[in-house]
Amino acid sequence: MNFEKLFAQAKTRGMEDVQAFLTRRNELAIQVYEGELENYEISDFSHLVLRGLYNGRLGTFVTEVLDDSVIDLAVESMIANAKIIDSPDQAVIYAGDPAYEKLTGLFSESLEQMDVAEKIAAVKRLDHTIHAKDARVSTGQTMYGETTKTVFLQNTKGLKLEDKANSAYLGGEVIVKDENDQRTGFDLEISNDFADFDIDRLAGKILEEGLGALGAKPIPTRPYEIILRHDALAVLLSTFQGVFSAEAVQRNMSLLKGKLGQKVGSDLVTIVDDPFLPKSSSSRSFDDEGCATRRKDLIKDGVLTTFLHNLSTAAKDGITTTGNGFGGGVSFVNMKFLPGTIPFEALIASVNDGLLVTGLQGSHAGANPVSGDFSLQATGFLIQNGKLGAPVALVTVAGNFLPLLQDVVAVGADVKTGYYGITCPSVKIRSLAVSGL
Amino acid sequence: MLLEKSLIEEMIAASLSTGADFAEVFIEDRMSSNIQLVGGHIEKATSAKTFGVGIRIARELFSVYGYTNSKNPSDLRKLASDLAKSFSNPERVSSVPLAEAEVGTRHQVRINPRDVKQETKVEWMQKAYRAAKDYDPVIQQVAVNLNDWVQNVQIANSLGRHVAEERVRIRFYVSAIAGKDGMMQTGGEGPGTGKGYEYFQEELNVEEVARQAARVAKTMLFAEECPSGVMPVILNNEFGGVIFHEACGHGLEATSVAKNASVFCGKLGKPVASPIVTAIDDGTIENGWGSANFDDEGNPQQRRVLIENGILKTYMVDYINGRRMKHPITGSSRRESYKFAPTSRMSNTFIDKGTSTFDEIIRSTEYGLFAAKMGGGSVNPGTGDFNFAVAEGYMIRNGKIAEPVRGASLVGNGAEILFKIDMIADNLERARGMCGSASGSIPADVGQPTLRVSSITVGGKKGAN
Repeated sequence: MNFEKLFAQAKTRGMEDVQAFLTRRNELAIQVYEGELENYEISDFSHLVLRGLYNGRLGTFVTEVLDDSVIDLAVESMIANAKIIDSPDQAVIYAGDPAYEKLTGLFSESLEQMDVAEKIAAVKRLDHTIHAKDARVSTGQTMYGETTKTVFLQNTKGLKLEDKANSAYLGGEVIVKDENDQRTGFDLEISNDFADFDIDRLAGKILEEGLGALGAKPIPTRPYEIILRHDALAVLLSTFQGVFSAEAVQRNMSLLKGKLGQKVGSDLVTIVDDPFLPKSSSSRSFDDEGCATRRKDLIKDGVLTTFLHNLSTAAKDGITTTGNGFGGGVSFVNMKFLPGTIPFEALIASVNDGLLVTGLQGSHAGANPVSGDFSLQATGFLIQNGKLGAPVALVTVAGNFLPLLQDVVAVGADVKTGYYGITCPSVKIRSLAVSGL
Repeated sequence: MLLEKSLIEEMIAASLSTGADFAEVFIEDRMSSNIQLVGGHIEKATSAKTFGVGIRIARELFSVYGYTNSKNPSDLRKLASDLAKSFSNPERVSSVPLAEAEVGTRHQVRINPRDVKQETKVEWMQKAYRAAKDYDPVIQQVAVNLNDWVQNVQIANSLGRHVAEERVRIRFYVSAIAGKDGMMQTGGEGPGTGKGYEYFQEELNVEEVARQAARVAKTMLFAEECPSGVMPVILNNEFGGVIFHEACGHGLEATSVAKNASVFCGKLGKPVASPIVTAIDDGTIENGWGSANFDDEGNPQQRRVLIENGILKTYMVDYINGRRMKHPITGSSRRESYKFAPTSRMSNTFIDKGTSTFDEIIRSTEYGLFAAKMGGGSVNPGTGDFNFAVAEGYMIRNGKIAEPVRGASLVGNGAEILFKIDMIADNLERARGMCGSASGSIPADVGQPTLRVSSITVGGKKGAN
C-alpha cells in the first residue's frame, strides 16, 4: 500500500493524523512423526494496523489486504470507529523520541540461509534419538519452527521505524507406556542460533519428563512446601502479568492498584521487563505507538517500582510512557524473574516435606487475573527429607498471586525462557494448598 | 466467488505436478468488528479485513501447507509450485475437474453485521453496562465486549469438491468485578450466536445477561474458599458440558487418535462411559455457534453420535487422519482461518438428556459441590488427565444447595470420569465457547443437562473439610 496516498486521503476526509504499523512474518514449520516427515508448512503473512485520529478520537482498522484498493474502506472504517469512542483518554499519534536502542543479535542471517534439508534432518535426528533411548517410548512427534518478523511503522508526524528479528524452536512430545500407565513428555528450546540446539540434551529432557511421570498418582490433600520449577513459575507469571498494566490499574482491575513504592513481594523477588533480550523475536527498540522501549524493573527486591504504560495511560498519570504500548493496549516485551544463586539441587535439598511442581495446566480458566486466585492442575514429584520422591499427577495447587510473591523464600540459579516469552528461575514457596486424595 | 474456478484449477494442477495425490485450496475473506466498553466509555473500536489463501498438498500420510495474503494469480501459482517441490514421485494423480461452487444455504442470517451501524451496537453495550453497574454498589467495574465477524470461505480440492459459504458469528461478553476491602471477584456471561443481529432484537436480553454477570461477581465476593478433596459434584447444565469436551471430546478427535496419542484409541464399540451417557457432536444445528454447511475440507457437516448408552460409536475424523486410521471422514475438519491446516475438531458437543430431574439430583446428594457455572478447562489427550474451573459454586448439604464457595477447580481422568456419571437430568442446554487446539481457536458449543459425578477431585484453597 502506498502510505502517502492513504495519509493524503485521510487528511482530505478530515482526519488529523494517521499511523501505519506493518508486521510481516515469514514462517516455516516442520513436523516429524515416527521417523517420517509428516508435515511441512510455509507462510508469508502481512498485517497492517492503521490508527487514525478523528476529532481527537482514535479509530482502528486492521487489514491483510495491502493494496491501494482498501484505502477507501480503511479511511471510512477508522472514522466510523473513532466516532463511537467516548473515552476521556487522550489519544495521540507520536512524533518520535530523540534516540532508539540499536538492537543486536536479533536477526541471524545464518539461520535464515541454512538449508531446509538440514533443518528437517535435525528434527528427524531428534525423533530418532528419542526412540533409540528407551523401549518404553510408544509414539512421539518432533517439531521445528522458524519465524522471521519485520515490523515497520510510519505516521503523518514524519516518524519511520523498523525492527527485524528471527527465531526458531526445536522440540518434541513423546508418549511413554509401561504395563500400568501412559504419560507424556514435552520440551522445546528457543534460539536464533541453530548451534544452540543440543539434540541429545533435548531428547534426554523430553524423555525424562515422560518416564519420570510413569506411575504418577494424587497425594493427600493438605498444605505442602512448594518448589515451582522455572516453567511452572513462567505459567503463573504469564497468567498474572496483567497486574502490572497501568491500563488495568486505571480501570480498577489490578491487584497492585495503590501499591506503587510498596513491598509486594519478598526481598528475593525482582521482576524486570527487558525489551532488548538477545535471541528473542519479541525484542523491540520501539513499541507499537512509536515510543522508544527501555529496560525497567517492575519489582525490585520486593518493592513495586513501576507499572507498564503506553502514551494514554502515562498521560493520565502525568508521567512519560514506559514504551509498552503494544497491540492497542499495554504489554510487557520480555519479562524476567531474576535468578538467585542457589543451584536447583540445593533448592530441592532444602525441602523437608513438599512438592516439586513441574507442570501447571488450565491457567486460562483456573486462574483469575483480577482476583489473583488460582487453583491449577499440577504435575510433579514429592520431596521428602531433601530427596525427590514419587511422581505426582491429578492434584491441584491453589493460592493467590500476591501472597505467593510474599512467600518466595528461595530463588534458584537455574533459568529458562519459556515460550510465553518469560524467563524464570525455579523458586521455593513457603506453602500452598494441594488437593488430591 | 472469492477466486475464479480456472485459477483454482491451475493451482491444483501445479500442486499435483510432482506426484502428490491430494491438493486442496482454502480461500477466506473476513470482515470483523470489535468494540470494547470499560467503565461506561467506549475505549476501543477496531474493524478488520482479512484475506488469505491456504494450499494443502499431500501424498499418502505426508502433507505440506502454505498460506499467503496475496490475491495475485502469479503469487498463488508460485505458492502451489513451491509447496509441490516437497514431492518427487513419478506417478501422477490427476484431479477431478471442478464444477461451479456449491453454495451452502443453511444457517441464513437476516440482519448481517455488515448492515449494522457501530452506533447501534454501542446502544446494546451501554444498556448492558448500566444494568450490571446498577445491580449492586459492590460492582466496581464493568467491561462489555462485542465481537462480530462475517467469514466467507471457498474450498476446492483435487477430488472435485468445490463449495462456498458465508458464516456469521456474534459474541457479546459482559464481565463484572465486585470489590470490597481490597478483594475483587469477577463474574462473566458471554452469549453468542451463529445468527445475525436479529438475535439481539428478538431473543437476547442484554440487561439480563449483564445482571447475571454482576450477580455471580457479587455472590463470589461474599463466598468462602472452596474446600478440597474428593467428593460428589453436580455440574449444572449449559457450560457444565465442558466436562465432556475436556474429559472425552478432545480424546475422540482424530488429531490424537490417529497417532495413538489418545486414551480412547482402540475403544470403538466398547464401553467408555456409564450406560446412561449418550453424547453427540452435531455440526448441523441451525445457526449453531459451532455449525456450518461444510467442514473446512469442503465436506458436509454432520450429526455424529459419539457415545450411545455408554458405548463408543465413532471418532471425529478428517481426510488425512482418516487415511492413517482407515476410517471414513465424518465432516469434522475445522480451522480458525487460512493460517491453519485443518484437522478434526468438535462443533456443538453435548451429553444428551437423561431421565432424572434437577431437584432429584440435588435432593439425593447428602454432601458435595454444586458447580452452577463453569469456566474453561484443558486436557492432555495422551494421559486423559483434564481440569476445568468452577466460576460459581455452592456446597450441597443434606440434599440442599447451601453456602456459595469460590476458587474451585476440578481435575480427573477422562478414561475414568465418564463411568462415574450416575445421574443425568432432563434440562439439556448448550452454551458458547472458544476451543483452542492444533488448528487454532474456533467457536464450539458445549452442553449437557445437569448431571452428577459420584466422585471427583475438587481443588480449592481451604483444605480438606
